Amino acid sequence: MNFSYRHFILFSTIMPVLIVVVTIMSISMGTKSISLETINDAFIRYDKENIDHQIIWSGRLPRALAVLCVGAFLATAGAIMQGITRNFLASPSIMGVTDGSAFFITMAFVFLPGISSFNLVLLSMLGSLFGGALVFGFASIIKNGLSPVRLAIIGTVIGTFISSIGTAIAMYHQISQTITMWYNSKVHMLEMELIYLCVPIGMIGLILALSLARAVTITALGEDVAVGLGQNTRIVKVLSMLAVAILTGTAVALVGKIAFVGLVVPHIVRMLVGVDYRVIIPCSAVMGAFFLAGCDLLSRYINFPFETPIGVVTALIGVPFFLYLIRRKGGEKYAA
Amino acid sequence: MPLNKTKWLFIMGTLFFTLLFAMYIHLTSGVFTMTTPEVFKTLLRIDSTEQFDLVIFDFRLPRIITAALVGMGLAMAGVVLQGITKNALADPGIIGINAGAGCAIVIFMFFFNMELINVEINSLVKILIVPIFGFVGGAIAAAIILVISYKHGRMDMQRLILTGIAINTGFSAVTLFWSLKMDEGDYQAAAIWMNGSIYNSNWYFVNAMLPWLIILGVYIYRKTYLLDYFQLEEETVTSLGISIEKEKIKLMLASVGLVSACVSVSGSIGFIGLMAPHIARQLVGIHHRYMMPVSLFIGAVLLVFSDYVAKTVFSPVELSVGIVVSLVGIPYFLYLLVKSKG
Repeated sequence: MNFSYRHFILFSTIMPVLIVVVTIMSISMGTKSISLETINDAFIRYDKENIDHQIIWSGRLPRALAVLCVGAFLATAGAIMQGITRNFLASPSIMGVTDGSAFFITMAFVFLPGISSFNLVLLSMLGSLFGGALVFGFASIIKNGLSPVRLAIIGTVIGTFISSIGTAIAMYHQISQTITMWYNSKVHMLEMELIYLCVPIGMIGLILALSLARAVTITALGEDVAVGLGQNTRIVKVLSMLAVAILTGTAVALVGKIAFVGLVVPHIVRMLVGVDYRVIIPCSAVMGAFFLAGCDLLSRYINFPFETPIGVVTALIGVPFFLYLIRRKGGEKYAA
Repeated sequence: MPLNKTKWLFIMGTLFFTLLFAMYIHLTSGVFTMTTPEVFKTLLRIDSTEQFDLVIFDFRLPRIITAALVGMGLAMAGVVLQGITKNALADPGIIGINAGAGCAIVIFMFFFNMELINVEINSLVKILIVPIFGFVGGAIAAAIILVISYKHGRMDMQRLILTGIAINTGFSAVTLFWSLKMDEGDYQAAAIWMNGSIYNSNWYFVNAMLPWLIILGVYIYRKTYLLDYFQLEEETVTSLGISIEKEKIKLMLASVGLVSACVSVSGSIGFIGLMAPHIARQLVGIHHRYMMPVSLFIGAVLLVFSDYVAKTVFSPVELSVGIVVSLVGIPYFLYLLVKSKG
């Protein structure tokens, strides 16, 4: 089996350290720097009167955790999609899944103003399913629609269409500014209630994803092989779609649209640890958490003291990577 | 297919009247209601009132003219791009030229603190400089697209669009970044403009666009025969004594110039350059000399009508015209994708 144990062991020892480092940096760095001692104090003997402690517990720590989780969720969703569709460009932001989520949330803002957080997250997941179903449904009725490049084109175009409708409706109700703010700069104004809700639900998605890992590896070998090995491909696909919906839906409900995490991370992971999804999926989760936390740190310093939307940072990293993938892999073999 | 001259004239005439009709309904409708005789009286300068003059000449007419000109510019750029790339799905918006031009313009606005809304009379020179900046950005986008999607001496159709989408996202991210650095007034101006809207147009924008449209339009029209040749096999064209690559790059730059002039006035509006040439080809066939003017008119009609929809459908709230065009254009794009052979 094409799988590098050495890399995997290296990966599983280095990554946790890196994540801890990036989390501590994320807590201590920002418009107000907080010393390591203060952070230590805040954890060991919390002082209500101390402003730094308050900042840590009410602002920095939730943000750091949320970003770590969202990174893990999106990267895992991307890894599953890439495995199941055997499409190297598959990822939640490119296949219309995040757009579907965001669309449903926009609709909720417009038509159900008093909606509870739980229902919002639920709607967000339904939106993921809707977006994904629309794109894959359309792709499967046209000739060669499931080839990587075509599917990516269909995904982005349908995604744009859905979000255009959302924008139009938001404009009509004159809340487009709220919505835009909501999508682009949620990271620094997270709601505690949503974190408590989204993180556990997303974890369910992660567990589902991990339990599907073996099936995804087999599916990635090809439909015929999978059937030959006695796999019920339909159930696997449905469950994977469900996992993707849970993961993306919670991520979008928590922080808005963040593109390219689900595309970039699984590729990097595959370069490091090989082609076995039993390894790729957990490693993607870990790497995704680290990646997004790093982007979050960058977003604070690119235009200091103002924050840059985290999506800008992921796009600036993701777009060149995307172009590289098209250039390297988008050959005639795939483009058909 | 030999084209019947009478049929062509008939189509052109019909389009011309359709455009007039679209302009007419655009002109007469709006928040400030005017009756038809009032509009005509104002236009023909018969006992005009100051109020009507203001609405017609300062607000509605420049907006309509801008819409028509932008529609024509984008349609022409679309014809050229589709001709050069032999790609029926090419459109300046889809392949990222709009985004490149828009990004350069936002950066320009940031450094020179220029509000595009309140342009003073003597600032015509200032306005003329904006499209030039846009041109640089658009040309950079076009260059990236060419580098990425050319392989083995030919452009791969699917890859071209995918690259364009990526470039679009990238430039939009950079644009968002710069626009957030602006102070509030500039940001407001930039945000309105970026969404693709022409509702705060005025005569200076028309003046700023016209030279570009006329010069580049004439240049491109004189070269339309080349677009016909490009549809042939490469060897055949070379044997006719045409240096393909050079001509292609010149035409590409001309269309980037057109798009930049349009974007500098109206922001990013996609899909006009995709739809207009297609509809034109359905109507009059593939001879570019006949097809080009038809698609210009179709582009103008589409945009004037879309702007009318943007203005009225949710009145008094205005949609940005870019969104209206996408809502029509994307299904059309998907339809073309279905029809094109895998």
